[in-house]
Amino acid sequence: MRPGAIIPATAASLTSLTVTMAVMCYLACLAIGALILVDRAVTSWTSGLSREMTVQVRVVRDADIAQEVEKARAVTAAFPGIIEVDILDEKAGEKLLEPWLGTRSLAGLPVPRLIRVVTDTENPPDVTALGQALSQVKGATLDTHQKWESELTRMARALSAVSYAILLLISVSAIAIVIFATRAVLQANRHIVDLLHLVGARDSYIARQIDGRFLRTGLLSGFIGVGLGLFTFLLLGLFGGGSESGVAAASRGLLFSTPSIAIWSYGLLFAVPIAATLICLITARVTLIRRLGVIT
Amino acid sequence: MLRLENVGLKYGDGPEILRDVSFSVRPGDFYFLTGPSGAGKSSLLKLLFLALRPTRGKLHIFGEDVGGLSHSKLPAIRRRIGVVFQEFRLLDHLSTYDNVALPLRVAGRAESSYRLDVMDLLDWVGLAHKSSDLPPVLSGGEKQRAAIARAVIAKPQLLLADEPTGNVDPLLAKRLLHLFLELNRLGTTMLIATHDKGLVRQAERPVLHLEQGALNLQ
Ligand SMILES: Nc1ncnc2c1ncn2[C@@H]1O[C@H](COP(=O)(O)OP(=O)(O)O)[C@@H](O)[C@H]1O
Ligand SMILES: [Mg+2]
Repeated sequence: MRPGAIIPATAASLTSLTVTMAVMCYLACLAIGALILVDRAVTSWTSGLSREMTVQVRVVRDADIAQEVEKARAVTAAFPGIIEVDILDEKAGEKLLEPWLGTRSLAGLPVPRLIRVVTDTENPPDVTALGQALSQVKGATLDTHQKWESELTRMARALSAVSYAILLLISVSAIAIVIFATRAVLQANRHIVDLLHLVGARDSYIARQIDGRFLRTGLLSGFIGVGLGLFTFLLLGLFGGGSESGVAAASRGLLFSTPSIAIWSYGLLFAVPIAATLICLITARVTLIRRLGVIT
Repeated sequence: MLRLENVGLKYGDGPEILRDVSFSVRPGDFYFLTGPSGAGKSSLLKLLFLALRPTRGKLHIFGEDVGGLSHSKLPAIRRRIGVVFQEFRLLDHLSTYDNVALPLRVAGRAESSYRLDVMDLLDWVGLAHKSSDLPPVLSGGEKQRAAIARAVIAKPQLLLADEPTGNVDPLLAKRLLHLFLELNRLGTTMLIATHDKGLVRQAERPVLHLEQGALNLQ
């Protein structure tokens, strides 16, 4: 004959806590997904961009554009720290203007010419000096992408900060609802708790009769949340606005990427049920011990 | 074992239920606690099993001053006290067997170490055939016996019983009295609140009488 559970599971069920915690875990997964994507995007932008610069040569009256472009190439190529200098053909300039002017022919229009410059990351060139050197070329400007890069990085940082704040808020509200649920369980079983005290049970013994249910709730809701999260990323990857869409590609990247990255992101996602379980268990236990201590 | 000095008790802002109650109980004593209904017998017992604290006066249990007792020290003291509650306080979701075994279980004992003791005791109080029944299907007398069995299963040094024969027929009352006398002979100190004059007469033990908040030895 197995002894019956001292605190019956039927009194004050934890179903609503499980549902709420599962939703919280799901939101946490989305926030973590956003963090990973932003982090990955920043890495790829910055590594790509900082290796490249562009020299733009605008058409200036009284100057032969072809000559000026050649001059700009020569000045740049002679500069230390430059690995490669590449004059892009006129099409590249037209493509650049496409969003504004459409695909109609731009023949005869003063389209700027572009020179792609690859720098040596080990031994980067003095950008200011290069800019000054280029000022002798009519219509030439150096675009280091630095403004772009810092703009993107700032935005990414803001996004990451928002994600962290969301994770923090989720944790705080999870703790609050676990405290609330723990008190409800104690209240619903008050007559049992009182009797256990009177027959000599220690607070830790009574807490142990209850906190196992919170542990199971944390685990279950955590895995439901992660499951839903992975399913969401899968759906986004498959149907997130066409295969070329950034969201879809990013979601696929999150799920199916090189093993090293995948392990990292799955690891972060599966930290959610672990965190949920710890939050449930520790919060319930601390609340129980504190509340039991004031019941005589 | 128990010492009360000018103990007073009131509930909230109500009148004083107990006034200047003083008495002491030594190990091995057997006392009845009598008095009309509402005199405060149950309240006095609640003080003794530490469910209430006196509003004034001094209360010593097993040599410990209850006034300065911290929460963490209560379980050790309560394990030395068996209580038969007037309203039984059996747990409705646990079998009779589990209810009786509860004090041993919360003390951390393994089920295999106490199962024979519990079955023996259930047999002795005539509940062996009800061991797996839940309290809601037991009769008043059966609940009473289960409550008594739970109070004595851990062999407490002090047994506090609140109207333990209130729900049983005279024959069973007599058997229970013999159980109490036997436990007392084996060393358990007894304090039994009752208004059953017949029981008191049969036992020939000293009586503490409570009336209008005052306690007198008769
Ligand atoms: N929890 C309580 N709150 C307020 N008053 C109470 C409470 N318990 C008992 N009383 C009052 O204390 C008095 C004594 O009650 P009780 O100790 O149960 O007496 P007895 O057991 O002798 O019948 C009664 O007047 C009762 O109404
Ligand atoms: Mg009473």
